[in-house]
Amino acid sequence: MIYIFDGAMGTMLQENGLPPGYCPELWNVEHPEKVTAVHKRYVESGADIIETNTFGANRIKLSHYHLSEEVTKLNLAAVKAARDACGPNTKIAGSVGSTGKFIAPLGDLPFETAYNVFLEQVSALDEGGVDYISIETFLDIQEMRAALLAAKAATTKPIICQLTFSEDGRTVTGTDPATAAVILEALGADIIGANCSLGPDQFINIIKTMASHCQVPLSAQPNAGIPELINGQTSFPMGPKEFASWATKLIDAGASYIGGCCGTTPAHIKEIRAAISGHVPSHRPATISHTALASRSKVVFLGEGLPTAIIGERINPTGRKALAADIKAGNFSTIKKEALDQVKAGAHILDVNMGVPGIDQAATMRQVIGDLSLLVNVPLAIDTTDAATLEAGLRIYPGRALINSITAEPERLEEFLPLAKKYGAAILCLPIAAAGVPTSVEERLQIAGTIVNKALDAGLRTKDLLLDALVMTIAADATAAQQTLETLRQYRRTFGFPTVMGLSNISFGLPRREQINSAFYAMAIASGLDAPILNPYNQEMVDMRNAAAALLGHDPSGHHYSLTYAASAPITQTPEKNSQPNNPLSAAKQAIINGEKEAVPELIRTCLASGHTPLEITNEALTAAMNEVGVAFGKGRCYLPQVMLAAETMRAAFLTIKEAIPAHETISAGTIILATVQGDIHDLGKNIVSALLENNGFTVIDLGKDVSPDTIIQAAEKHKPDIIGLCALMTTTMPQIDETISILKKKSIPAKTIVGGAVLTAEYAEQAGADAYAPDGIAAVNIVKHLLGK
Amino acid sequence: MPVYNAPLTTLDKNETRRYAGLKGKTEFSDKLLEEACTQALILANPKGVWNNYPYNAATNNVLSQPLYQPLSADLSEHLQNAVEVAILGVTIGEAVEKKVSDLFSSGDYTLALLLDAAATAAVESIADSINSLINTQAAKRGFKTTLRFSPGYGDWNITDQPTVLELAEASKAGIAVTSSCMLIPRKSVTAVIGLVPQESSITRSLCGKPSCKACSQHHCLARKEF
Repeated sequence: MIYIFDGAMGTMLQENGLPPGYCPELWNVEHPEKVTAVHKRYVESGADIIETNTFGANRIKLSHYHLSEEVTKLNLAAVKAARDACGPNTKIAGSVGSTGKFIAPLGDLPFETAYNVFLEQVSALDEGGVDYISIETFLDIQEMRAALLAAKAATTKPIICQLTFSEDGRTVTGTDPATAAVILEALGADIIGANCSLGPDQFINIIKTMASHCQVPLSAQPNAGIPELINGQTSFPMGPKEFASWATKLIDAGASYIGGCCGTTPAHIKEIRAAISGHVPSHRPATISHTALASRSKVVFLGEGLPTAIIGERINPTGRKALAADIKAGNFSTIKKEALDQVKAGAHILDVNMGVPGIDQAATMRQVIGDLSLLVNVPLAIDTTDAATLEAGLRIYPGRALINSITAEPERLEEFLPLAKKYGAAILCLPIAAAGVPTSVEERLQIAGTIVNKALDAGLRTKDLLLDALVMTIAADATAAQQTLETLRQYRRTFGFPTVMGLSNISFGLPRREQINSAFYAMAIASGLDAPILNPYNQEMVDMRNAAAALLGHDPSGHHYSLTYAASAPITQTPEKNSQPNNPLSAAKQAIINGEKEAVPELIRTCLASGHTPLEITNEALTAAMNEVGVAFGKGRCYLPQVMLAAETMRAAFLTIKEAIPAHETISAGTIILATVQGDIHDLGKNIVSALLENNGFTVIDLGKDVSPDTIIQAAEKHKPDIIGLCALMTTTMPQIDETISILKKKSIPAKTIVGGAVLTAEYAEQAGADAYAPDGIAAVNIVKHLLGK
Repeated sequence: MPVYNAPLTTLDKNETRRYAGLKGKTEFSDKLLEEACTQALILANPKGVWNNYPYNAATNNVLSQPLYQPLSADLSEHLQNAVEVAILGVTIGEAVEKKVSDLFSSGDYTLALLLDAAATAAVESIADSINSLINTQAAKRGFKTTLRFSPGYGDWNITDQPTVLELAEASKAGIAVTSSCMLIPRKSVTAVIGLVPQESSITRSLCGKPSCKACSQHHCLARKEF
């Protein structure tokens, strides 16, 4: 059955006299007959479902017209105006539009505020007696989640969820149609679709993708093409016939609710009605039946026939004192680093556990899940035994999370299963019962069966379920590994759901645990393990996963395997190592030029051991190296980061000499004061110059940024520098260079001045009375040497 | 004032290389580049806000209260077909710049330099995100958008920075300006985007990529080669 929606409302009202800038929803009470008249034209044109004039009738949008207290009144009146236009079979959909704000932390609107705003509007529409709720034109999946959760709390009517996609096939905040379908279906949307922004041609792929990622009916309400402004009037290029020519294609792509958004008129709807009459829709494409988890912008599938997905276990304070202390102190940078590093190391899903005693775990979970949702695009698993913490994480997560985990303990089943259902999460069933940990395979299967049945009773779908095979250490029970492997095989035969397990427990209490772990890992993959929870920094485990995928045919032709490892092969051969100079001074010099910071201390010690004095080392290795790097830079053969790396390596060399011969006094090549001038807060360039001068043997007094002439004078009187270097970045602070130099001259400070910075030029420097201008850090070093006759 | 603190999940390593002054395909430690990008992602706290205003191209006036007339021939030209402007402010916060200073102090010069470059790539990426949101919303209403134009570009004096900040309500994103018109945090961007009716043809220069060629900063590390 195909249902036809109506077309645009706002532009129709404007045609009927709604003044620009006037609140369209206010007409529901002021001119309900005009609203009804528009609805009527759509009904007469063949619309099965008409949408109420309530797109902006939420508290936040209405506040722009000082009407926030009129939400209920305007929504009720809108439903009545629609009903007055209905034919005998016409249905009414209550239109719910966006607040126009993003939900925190993406924007400034708290999730709960958004939830309450939608709850209020949907309650009114429900009270008015609509047949559907249509949440539409949403740019962000998180606002959609807030609206859908609120709608489900406020009404039992079917809920339509329509997002707006951009030309790149994603919503503005990055959600693609597959991800949207996975998240919204799990969350309980009755109809999923897209509306607005694009023309019908651009909707085809969106609808096709959604069709293969969910089973609920789909809706499509495109614009009549991309709008243009002609003489100040928004105009849509696609006429009714052309627009309607796409209707059957949208139906074949999988849509069963078709209508129009901006720029569509009763004529468009009439043509759609004509176009689809007699059209026999082709079968909707098959849906991917695999279990899916999703972040805001990415879906990860799990199950038989798919490559193993790694669940990174590192965001867990258990047994990690420093991480626990960071979490307790509200410092989440370690967690962010663990998240990024695990993804880089190859994790497909991240487990998040905030189990630190004595903290508000729910609040912490909410904060961390919110932060991570903006930082990584892999789905998250919420790892907790506390229902409040679980709900806090699930509610704020703009994706479909995995709950880690649910045991057969009555309290867990009662508390966790409804939360999984409510928030559309997948659950990991852990076969532990109130009586304790099972000892046999049969017992595991039986307990898992209990959890599965309870989950299905609670309304979860089979594709929401994952099974944990439960790993015990072989140190305590020699059959532990075999039991787990047999459990995996039987899980596959009995249930067929994806399997998960914490791998490393197998080797607890044994030496060389990684050997046991990787052997067990290979066996487990062959026995049907889909998603191990492990430490992805362990390269062996990641390698094992990639090798297993190639072996088991999950990686066709070993394509991914070849791509990953073919490129890394040459690393074992470093030609430079072979051409290492024999003379220790030359070796040290070359190491500095190459920026081999780790290698240089040993080379310096070799120099010292073979009788070279610190002065020899400094002159013939260190300074010589920096000179060569400077020349290479000047000729464009190397660039600033390489120069800095050489300087850093030189510093390491200096420190090694100091360490070996504490009494060694380096002779300063001269004293230089450096400052970024008053009012200027940019000091990157000055810092670079400072680092380079220091590592060329000069004594640098770095006065920092935003330095007043007075401070510079005082420092000059105290340190009697040979040179004063001044830096300014912008036109607004450049005059401070003149000012400072003129005061230095007035005070008869004998030091020479050298200036630089983004906006400075040689001409400006000369006019300001500076002795020299340096366009870059390396030039500065050369000029300083030149000025001091070195 | 709409707020959009865009997600930041990756950084463009090539942009980071460019801002650090690594030209072309120069070989350089991938480990250090990765480290810099990771640290920038961890330390960045992206915030963004913007406001739309009507614009009168004939008088070069942003129709705000009070009126604002940017004194820049280049900006006027940039906005010659615009009937509206979006004025935005974005930042990644102060934590990154503090880390850069710390790294310089501890002698980790290279990572300091690369982190500063990664932070620049980060704030540009956040500006791109908010820009693409503005583009999407403009397109729905029948507008094309011009490239971002910031105080300091061409002849637009950065002394206009305080006004631009105020129009964007950038203080809500934690952005302030010094008396010398520098933005705090340093890794912040303010800009104007023109909204041009879809019907009028924007000149090519406004649609193309911003060119280093036209910029007077000849010693800029990130300057592209021609």
